[in-house]
Amino acid sequence: MVVDGMHAAAMEPSPYLITSRKLTMWLFIVADAATFGAILFGYGYLRYGSPDWTKPFHFSPNIVNALIMTVVLLTSSLTMLGGVAAAREGRRSATFRWLGATVLLGSLFAILHLREWSGMLHEGWSLSANPMGGTPLVGALFFSITGLHLLHVISGVVGIIVIAIGFQTKRLTAGHVETMGLYWHFVDLVWMFVFPLVYLLNVN
Amino acid sequence: MTTTDVVTEPTMKVYVGVWLGMIVIVAIEAALASAHVSSGMLLASLLVLAFLEAAVALRYFMHLKYEVPLLFWTLIPGLLLAFIMMNQFWADAARMKALRFPAP
Repeated sequence: MVVDGMHAAAMEPSPYLITSRKLTMWLFIVADAATFGAILFGYGYLRYGSPDWTKPFHFSPNIVNALIMTVVLLTSSLTMLGGVAAAREGRRSATFRWLGATVLLGSLFAILHLREWSGMLHEGWSLSANPMGGTPLVGALFFSITGLHLLHVISGVVGIIVIAIGFQTKRLTAGHVETMGLYWHFVDLVWMFVFPLVYLLNVN
Repeated sequence: MTTTDVVTEPTMKVYVGVWLGMIVIVAIEAALASAHVSSGMLLASLLVLAFLEAAVALRYFMHLKYEVPLLFWTLIPGLLLAFIMMNQFWADAARMKALRFPAP
């Protein structure tokens, strides 16, 4: 059916009452959650099936470092919410500052993560080596899972910088900031499973 | 409610309260890991706490609480069903463990 040169379907309200941009982000999040879920199930499968699994972490410094990373990421979600709220009210400078704080916290998380990786690589851990003598799957799974999450964090930091500049220069809207916020909270949500399953279950 | 990017949101005070609650959950998780709890009990406790934390994040930080219920019912149950279906692999993991592959 054509109404005034447009398809009638294009004029129907969304059943979800959100924009297609936001719905697209939700669909991406569900697909990505399935990916992380499958990877974490794979980790559980291989861990449970490996009789010579080794636990590489000590409460200090490994878990303490991971705890700091967790608090940093959780706090970055809070600053992101501040950015979304400021963007809704049209306060561009405040939005820029909140998003800037989120970028700084996200970057700090990535730096702490890379420092942890550097320490483990120095100890002899790698995708194919376990300096403790057990299965090399420990390093392979640790670097794969945390690496995929870190990739999401770095992508998010770049995305937030682009959105912050775009909103500040009036090329992007509050809707863009909110959609970016959805992604950032998802990255935080994934860490809520990575931290207990990959770190806390491997305390020696 | 019309089709718009911007939805009604709670105040920053509510967000800070939720953030503090999440910090408390993380602290409980770390305390459990440092306590002498059996590995089965630790896994179960950490999973319950992680799902609780994720539910709070979805509802408040990702605003699912403030969207139309249809969005939740479209996205989340199917994902949870996929996770439940993945549990069928544990029996094979137990079989693999019984084979006792030697370390390389």
